[in-house]
Amino acid sequence: MMNLSPIVASLLVVILPFLAFLIQAMLGRRSQQGTISLLAILLSCLISATMVFPKIWNQDTQHQALTWFSIGTKDFQIGFLLNNLTSLMQLIVCLVALPVHIYSRAYMKGDPGIHRYWMYLSLFCFAMLLLTMADNLLLMYIAWELVGFASYLLIGFWFHKESAVQANKKAFIINRIGDLGFLLGIASLYSIYGTLNLVDLFGEHGFLNTVPPDSSGWMTFAGCCFFLGAMAKSAQFPLHVWLPDAMEGPTSVSSLIHAATMVAAGVFLLSTVFPLFNTTVLLIIAIIGCITAFIAAYFALAQQDIKRILAFSTISQLGFMMVAIGIGAWDAAMFHLVTHAFFKCLLFLAAGAIIHEMAHLKAKHQLDFDPQDIHNMGGLRKYMPKTFILMAIASLALAGFPLTSGFLSKDAILINALEWGMQQGGLWLLIPIALIIVSFMTAFYIGRLMFKVFFGKLRINVENPGIHEAPGQMLGPMVFLGICSLFVVFSLNPLSYQQAFVLKGFEFDRDYTELHILHTVVPLLMSIGSILIWIWAYRWYAQGEAGGSFDKLRMTESKLRMTFPLLQLSLNQGYLNEFYQKAFVNSTVQFSNGLYWFDRHIIDGLVNLAGSLVRAISRISAWTDRYIVDGLVNTIAGSTYYLGHLLRWVQNGRLQNYLGFAFTVLLIGIIYLIFK
Amino acid sequence: MITLTHFLVVSACLFCIGLYAVLAKRNAIMILVGIEFIINAAILNLVAFGRYDKINYGGQVFALFAIVLAAAAVAVGLAIILNVYRKYKSINPDNITDLRD
Repeated sequence: MMNLSPIVASLLVVILPFLAFLIQAMLGRRSQQGTISLLAILLSCLISATMVFPKIWNQDTQHQALTWFSIGTKDFQIGFLLNNLTSLMQLIVCLVALPVHIYSRAYMKGDPGIHRYWMYLSLFCFAMLLLTMADNLLLMYIAWELVGFASYLLIGFWFHKESAVQANKKAFIINRIGDLGFLLGIASLYSIYGTLNLVDLFGEHGFLNTVPPDSSGWMTFAGCCFFLGAMAKSAQFPLHVWLPDAMEGPTSVSSLIHAATMVAAGVFLLSTVFPLFNTTVLLIIAIIGCITAFIAAYFALAQQDIKRILAFSTISQLGFMMVAIGIGAWDAAMFHLVTHAFFKCLLFLAAGAIIHEMAHLKAKHQLDFDPQDIHNMGGLRKYMPKTFILMAIASLALAGFPLTSGFLSKDAILINALEWGMQQGGLWLLIPIALIIVSFMTAFYIGRLMFKVFFGKLRINVENPGIHEAPGQMLGPMVFLGICSLFVVFSLNPLSYQQAFVLKGFEFDRDYTELHILHTVVPLLMSIGSILIWIWAYRWYAQGEAGGSFDKLRMTESKLRMTFPLLQLSLNQGYLNEFYQKAFVNSTVQFSNGLYWFDRHIIDGLVNLAGSLVRAISRISAWTDRYIVDGLVNTIAGSTYYLGHLLRWVQNGRLQNYLGFAFTVLLIGIIYLIFK
Repeated sequence: MITLTHFLVVSACLFCIGLYAVLAKRNAIMILVGIEFIINAAILNLVAFGRYDKINYGGQVFALFAIVLAAAAVAVGLAIILNVYRKYKSINPDNITDLRD
């Protein structure tokens, strides 16, 4: 293989999916296999893994830029910045996108709009890769918007479904709020430092290091704006509502959005601009992250849709990452982002395989049930053992069980948070404690999902259900992701996160002291707690009466919800959607109606009034013109005509008349002479 | 006794008849006849005033000249009428209005 410089190689990495997008767009229906997109992402992946990542990781930062355009005397540059953070992110995006592409070939087979699917998927990958490598905030913003747009297209991929249209509209509108924040952040940063180049801002001799900002208020504002951007993209409370609805898209898309692209963008952005944040902003980030983690885990407890449970778990994990950033441990956030990317992608792909089979069952026996409702599943372990094992690995990773990647990253966040909380003391200890509770909740809801789906017996009563293992093209990517969810990929020591290569790559001095005791106590506590919770959940869901038939299960759950209104609240996602509907959507609609009325009656009324006034005036002037001016002219013309007509009669060509006139005149002359 | 006045009255009557014929007749021949009346009224005046002329028979000679000239003029007039008839197939002057605007 050729030896390219990392910059050129990463240019290729970015360009290839874009080319695939263009070619797919031109070919349209003629290309349904997705070979072009797959080939592009495969090449990107290979180039990134062989020529970019090994040459950048733990080595010198590389930066290359061209002048893009000039405004006045200011030059704006476009270029790539390659350092540990960006090269890691680039690799992760490629590594997660590749299995999703392979999986989609089997999963999306036969969809009438498949050619669009490949096009959007390539565009999505291109936008995300561009985002990871942009060397300035403006380019990053462009990529950011492209990511939002591509996700809009993908969420609404089945646009003939009303719910999908609503969902992509919702995602787009909520992301616009975040985009506004990002843009305001860029603007305020530019007004303070006069540049948007990341190297100029955060580099070794960057402005942030050399020039202490005298305007801390501005910095707080800018930081909050960037966080607002990240809040929308990374689905933080209260802007998280779009993510559960985004489940309307194809499952493979959900996995991509949830794992490495869309939602990771917010965390990545915050890690990139991390030096910008002062303590106030960091505290806000930590608090919001904590609330998000808790609320989302709580909402996940009672959901019935398999994809929605996973969506809320994503939101919850993103909350974890935000807390990590807020306490200053952005390396832990990135680590969790990376591990989460793999196991969450796997969870979604496995869920996709299950939904696929359930939908087949539904179609085969012509039954009417929701293929995504976990109450209809059960006992799938017997039919899909490989999927079960893979999903179990991913679930263990999500819950933070030892030997998995999630164990390392989650412990990193928890221990950092505890250390930080100890240092701060007082009420701030609530944040790490909340995180620990959320971790237990995570263990519970993912346990509930696993036990309901894979244990007990199938709750759809049919003879010979015909559910079988997913095809190899779907299973292969899942196996790859399953391996990536294990500890060996990140650290040789399965119990100590500090050995993880990702964290070592981001080493920096922390503000708080390390407490060694925590490194043994916390993992032990978490593991034991999780196991206890799983035993409880297993008894409850897999063995007890709830493990039986569908009706019984449904009855038990509804009885439970009657007794505990909190569970009802959880199922309905805290009525947040209804609240937003009432507070924002309805008020906006009413406001618009008001404006419509104003437009209709006042503005239009004024215009119409002016119009009719002008018409009245013109009518008067028309009347004047017709009867006075024209009348005058017509009178003159008419009288002239009449006079002419009178005289004209004389010229009738009759000689006798002429003679008669002549004699008459002569006679008059004579008479006149006589009587003079 | 027949005075000059009687001649003039007769002459005036002749003139008036002639004028009437010229102005009112619907036939070109009759108009020509009317013209002859007028000429004859003038000739009658010449003869009547010739009585008071210092030179003898001056008036009569003029009358003879006028008669000859009138005869010639009638010939010309008839020729014109003939040509007009050829062109218009009519000698009614009301039908011949080419002079009008």
